[in-house]
Amino acid sequence: MKKILLELVLTIAVIVAVWFGLSQVDWMKFFNIQQTTQNTEEKIGDLFWKIMKSTETEITSDSIVAPVDSMLTRICKANSIDRKKIKLHLLRKNEINAFALPGNHLVIYSGLITACENEAELYGVIGHELAHMEKNHVMNKLVKEIGLSVLISMSTGNGNSETIKSAIKQISSSAYDRKLETEADLTAVDYLEKAGINPESFANFLYRLADQTKNLPSQIYWISSHPESKERAEKIIERIKGRNFPKAEVKDSLRFGRLKEKVKE
Amino acid sequence: MIDTSTFHYQPTDHEAEKASNSYVMSMIAIMGGLPLPIINLIATFFFYLGNRKGTYYVRWHCTQALLSQLFLIPFNSTGFWWTVSIIFTPETISSKYIAYIITLCIFNLIEFIGTIYTAIVTRKGQHVEWWVIGGLTNLICKA
Repeated sequence: MKKILLELVLTIAVIVAVWFGLSQVDWMKFFNIQQTTQNTEEKIGDLFWKIMKSTETEITSDSIVAPVDSMLTRICKANSIDRKKIKLHLLRKNEINAFALPGNHLVIYSGLITACENEAELYGVIGHELAHMEKNHVMNKLVKEIGLSVLISMSTGNGNSETIKSAIKQISSSAYDRKLETEADLTAVDYLEKAGINPESFANFLYRLADQTKNLPSQIYWISSHPESKERAEKIIERIKGRNFPKAEVKDSLRFGRLKEKVKE
Repeated sequence: MIDTSTFHYQPTDHEAEKASNSYVMSMIAIMGGLPLPIINLIATFFFYLGNRKGTYYVRWHCTQALLSQLFLIPFNSTGFWWTVSIIFTPETISSKYIAYIITLCIFNLIEFIGTIYTAIVTRKGQHVEWWVIGGLTNLICKA
């Protein structure tokens, strides 16, 4: 019996040792996996954005893009996120919506900017979408909902246009599961904290839009696609309870007021 | 790893065929069951059930075939569910995962080759005891 046990332990040890030894090799680099995955994601993101761009009106005015860009840059810089990899797009649309496309495309509708009462609320939404990108939620959601083979065929240019449109609809107007939404919210809180922004405004934004959804459900995509908003807002409040955040730059600044005016023009 | 010897009695040709079949069965199950490791175990288990009242030589080898499947089940299942979690959850592919799959392939291949060799040798009526598994079989399978 002792001999058998010894042999068993030895065999398991050999298996673990082989695994450990092989783990020392950088297989991701060896098989060029990261690159391939990134390429697929980038190709899909570019394809989605190309289709969106052809059907929507993009805001290119510097007076609108620059302030939002500087907000995004602030969060990225404070959280060591490579700003260059994120492609910011503003679209003129009344719907209150913002979403991340594969390949680090961040899309924000003008309706969402005007719905924000102050800068910090917009910072919160940007932080939330950034979290979806950084945590790889976007591709995981697409893989889960439309399948890896369909995504690969899209990236090689063989995608059916109806499938692509339906995938864009999925990513822009339907929710991630509750676990991922909560993870994105709490990560956004961390991002805001590091950037010196009070996350309470983000929670307020969720509360306010949850109330408004009752009256204008079809316009408020961001909130209708993010269910359990009040519960999420409560989780944010719970997370920041007892922490000290600077009050500066979270109230309606003149710059943000001007931005909203420009967007409404 | 594999110790070939003579059994304490000379099995008949019919016994040798049946004993050899238990390994053939597990080989077919491996081929048919991939990537669902549990299929191999179920197939070998049913073959074991069918032969558990056979002669000692047949029973012994059916048990060894079953245990050899059982041994790899936890490792294969871990690999299977790890793969599933990469496809369906936010878990991402990593060097550690690839190393694990390569390790699995190596040990499954060793087991597969061992199974083919044992099937051939037992068909000739010789006795084959595997490292660890042979000792366990001796404990479980009494004459």
